[in-house]
Amino acid sequence: MRISLTDIHKSFGSVEVVKGLNLDVEDGEFLVLLGASGSGKTTALRMIAGLETVSAGRIAIGGRDVTDVLPKYRDLAMVFQSYALYPHKTVFANIAYPLTVRKRPRGEIEAAVKDIARQVQLDGLLERYPRQLSGGQRQRVALARAIIRRPAAFLMDEPLSNLDAKLRGHMRAELKHMQHELGITTIYVTHDQIEAMTLAHRVALLERGVLQQLDTPANIYNRPANLFVAGFIGSPPMNFLAGELVNGQFVAGAGSFGTSSRASRNAAVAGIRPEDCRVTASNEGKIVGEVYAIELIGDHTLVTCRCGAEMVTVKADKECDHRIGQAIGVSFQPKAIHLFDRGSGERVE
Amino acid sequence: MTPDKQPWLRRLIVRLIEPPNLETLAPLPRIATYAALIAWSLIVLMPLYWVVITSFKVPVDVDTGPYYLPFIDFQPSLDAWHYIFVDLGNDTLRPYFNSVVVALASTTLAILIGSLAAYALVRIRFKVMLASILVFIGLLVCVIVAVAYVHLAWQLAVAVAGALFLLFLGTLSRRFRAGVGNSDIEFWIISNRIMPPVVAVLPIYIMFQQLHLLDTHVALIATYTAVNLPIVVWLTRDFFAGVPIDLEESAEMDGASKFRVFFTIALPLVRSGLVATFMLVLILAWNEYLLALFLSNANAQTMPLLVSAQNGTRGPQWWYMSVLIVIMVAPVVVIAIFLQKHIARGLLIGAVKG
Amino acid sequence: MTIAVDTKSSAVTSAGFGEWLDRQSGRIMVLPAVLLILSFAVFPLIISAYLSVSRFALAPGGYRLTFVGFFNFDRLLFGAQQYHFVGTFKPFSPIGWIALVAVLAGLLFWFARYVLSGQATILGFVGRLISASVAVAVVLAMLATVFAGGFPGSFVTTLFYVVAGVLVQFLLGLGLALLCAQPIRARNWFRVIFFIPLTVTPVGIAYTFRMLADMQKGPFAPVSGWFGLGEWSWATQPWSARAIILLGDTWQWTPFMFIVLLAAIENQSRDQIEAARLDGAGGLQIFRDVTWPAIAPIAATIVLIRLIEAFKIIDLPNVLTNGGPGLATESMTLHAFIAWRTQDLGGSAAIGYILLFISTVTCVSFFNYVVRRARRYQQ
Repeated sequence: MRISLTDIHKSFGSVEVVKGLNLDVEDGEFLVLLGASGSGKTTALRMIAGLETVSAGRIAIGGRDVTDVLPKYRDLAMVFQSYALYPHKTVFANIAYPLTVRKRPRGEIEAAVKDIARQVQLDGLLERYPRQLSGGQRQRVALARAIIRRPAAFLMDEPLSNLDAKLRGHMRAELKHMQHELGITTIYVTHDQIEAMTLAHRVALLERGVLQQLDTPANIYNRPANLFVAGFIGSPPMNFLAGELVNGQFVAGAGSFGTSSRASRNAAVAGIRPEDCRVTASNEGKIVGEVYAIELIGDHTLVTCRCGAEMVTVKADKECDHRIGQAIGVSFQPKAIHLFDRGSGERVE
Repeated sequence: MTPDKQPWLRRLIVRLIEPPNLETLAPLPRIATYAALIAWSLIVLMPLYWVVITSFKVPVDVDTGPYYLPFIDFQPSLDAWHYIFVDLGNDTLRPYFNSVVVALASTTLAILIGSLAAYALVRIRFKVMLASILVFIGLLVCVIVAVAYVHLAWQLAVAVAGALFLLFLGTLSRRFRAGVGNSDIEFWIISNRIMPPVVAVLPIYIMFQQLHLLDTHVALIATYTAVNLPIVVWLTRDFFAGVPIDLEESAEMDGASKFRVFFTIALPLVRSGLVATFMLVLILAWNEYLLALFLSNANAQTMPLLVSAQNGTRGPQWWYMSVLIVIMVAPVVVIAIFLQKHIARGLLIGAVKG
Repeated sequence: MTIAVDTKSSAVTSAGFGEWLDRQSGRIMVLPAVLLILSFAVFPLIISAYLSVSRFALAPGGYRLTFVGFFNFDRLLFGAQQYHFVGTFKPFSPIGWIALVAVLAGLLFWFARYVLSGQATILGFVGRLISASVAVAVVLAMLATVFAGGFPGSFVTTLFYVVAGVLVQFLLGLGLALLCAQPIRARNWFRVIFFIPLTVTPVGIAYTFRMLADMQKGPFAPVSGWFGLGEWSWATQPWSARAIILLGDTWQWTPFMFIVLLAAIENQSRDQIEAARLDGAGGLQIFRDVTWPAIAPIAATIVLIRLIEAFKIIDLPNVLTNGGPGLATESMTLHAFIAWRTQDLGGSAAIGYILLFISTVTCVSFFNYVVRRARRYQQ
């Protein structure tokens, strides 16, 4: 089902937490709402679910306006961060609950639960109680409960954040595969950019209630629409140099270099990703500085350099023979430079 | 079937019963809910209202039938108030004063002693030997029997028993290993609440009589403190358990003694819970009747006794009684209004863990 | 970098006494509490035990206590005071017999389930035996007195106050809490207003209700006139007198159930409710599947607390009706008080001990079979 949000606003008292959100989710798409805490992503999800009222704007599911419709009629399923399992019901009863509430015949319920349990590898655990399960198992029960009635869309509120790192990676892959198999529209909220980049067909990055960019992960990574997006996505984060843009030539404190743009800005920011930088001798670099710190990650080394007033991080080879305090230069390709207006933060072409 | 496609009657019923969204009530449930809540509010407030206006009535107005509204049905007068405060003067003020003193003192002591004990039970591991307990009880029984039958002077009996007990502790007790732990001690302290005061009140009466402390503040304060101790321990135990232990450990590393940690770190951190407990116990002590009935007379009489003493030979003098009830109830009602939220949370925490 | 302060010299030097004190600090901290409870609870209990097996008599030079064994208990339960304590018996009605058989069958079934569950222990069995025996005794007393047309004594009357009172207060408190937990305005106002009765002294409540219940001069006089009850005095009928006491008790204690249950309802996991709503559950289903399991442990605990207090009831019967008409509204505590006033210290102590026994068995049983069960899903 397609889900569309048209000019959604939400205020709690005098605080506006979602400002003019416009979103169109395609049928079968995996859309991730990404942002820091307080960005409004969870509020947006809850408005889609009907758990919060909308201050202004309309929400449509499958073409039908559901803005004033109660949650139970929206045909949505939600997986909560805390899983929201009923502690006094067995795993079987928990998974069966959506069907039990709708008073489906017992045979149908049993068959459906057993089938789902097999799909998420919970068979054998159906008679246990939630408190007897591990975190990963509980998460799968929550998932099973969401899947069992084939809703119009899935809503997921940071479902992986309570799992340890290793399990999280495993479940990411499971979720991606399952969503592909079922083909159900999914809206997924997270603050973890890795989850967003790996799971999403498209990412909606929110900051303080305003949509910053709605695009595929590749585009968000390679063509960030503004300073915030550029700085949020990518680990380690993009390096920023403040300076002036004159007809495509960027003048910074640590050096000046040409870019692939022909624009001019009095206050501009140049951004280069660490993997696009190289450490060179100090007379060969586009900008100069001295080594501030060296961190060996394993398959590469992060060299942080102080260039002028800013810190620039470079992803270097794992064999790196630089020393702290050494004078070096940093070099990069013009087409790897991202340019932004310092005042508005917007991308400059 | 989505709501749009249903017949109009069904839609009307749905409109009346189902809420438009999760933040409001549907019309019918809303009316019913408010009606029920307002009805109960009237039930709650009506007796209090009646008492207040009765205190402003003259005897004639009370005897000739119900009058409901001041200035409309009857003329309010300050006669009863005047009598209670001026004519009776000291006879009113003394019990009031007694109530205030006894309630405040016993509550403060109960909070102090109880929270101290609760803190120790949460942070320190105890192991009381079963043998010591048995010996202690045995000696106690011997003392009682000796005093009752052989008419030994109780001071002597207690001294001898005390010495024997210490002797036992110093020597034989090490032979026995079995002991009771923290949770057992807690349970013992808290379970004393089950004991009906009427079982204990007679011996307590005798005890105070022997000590020549009957009808004094001290007797009431000591008894109330002991009676309310279980509640304080039960509630504050959970508050202390919720304090992160790192803060205390860090203070101990810096050289603070356990007492210092208790007074300067643990106690301030549970301040709000302590206030709630204080208020709860204060209300209990303020309203206590049975023990005061037994243990006090003219001097240490508290308000509940004064109220029940208004039951004159010609029938209760409702107007005077109402004044007394009003001045008894007013302070605690004010406390209640300001602190009900805290008290509720405190009770909730106690109920969840206890 | 150098350390600014040389800490060695300022180390705690009074290692001797100070350290010993600190090590004993745990015991010192609990000592006052333990001493108080020993003096005011344990010690009196033992003396009361001794009193309950003696007869008190005034004698030249003070008093005389003679050991009489179980005479006091015997007199209360089976002897001359039986009518006062247990009640007057009448033969069972057929319904009485059926009820007795049903209760016995139920208890047997309960025992059988326990033994067959495979987790039976000797202690558990003995405990259940005690609970069951007390239950049977209570049921017998009730059936033989009240339900057979006889008159209940203070024992049965107290049980009536306890069971009926706690039940009504709980249901009322739960209902009010659920209503107040709805999205309504002025919730805090209602909370404050509903809390007030808890703070009023029971003696004051007793007199206030006497005023209110006055059918000639009280505020309901016109209403009773419409129903033709103008000349009727509630204080002269046993059941109406008991009802008024129950009314006063309910007025005061329902708020206790209300505020704790409301706090519990507000405290439940919002996620579970929202998940249920999304799954399509309506109000009643949500209560049954989410709310009730969440508040069951707390509900069980506060019912237990209320049970503990309910057994001690004295203010209301003493002041409202003075135990009357006759003995109809006398609670066990009141009975003990009256015995004390008539110099029957032994009997008074005996009543107190029976009350203690019943309270303890009831509360411990309730804790083990209800509260524990309600908590079994807590994580």
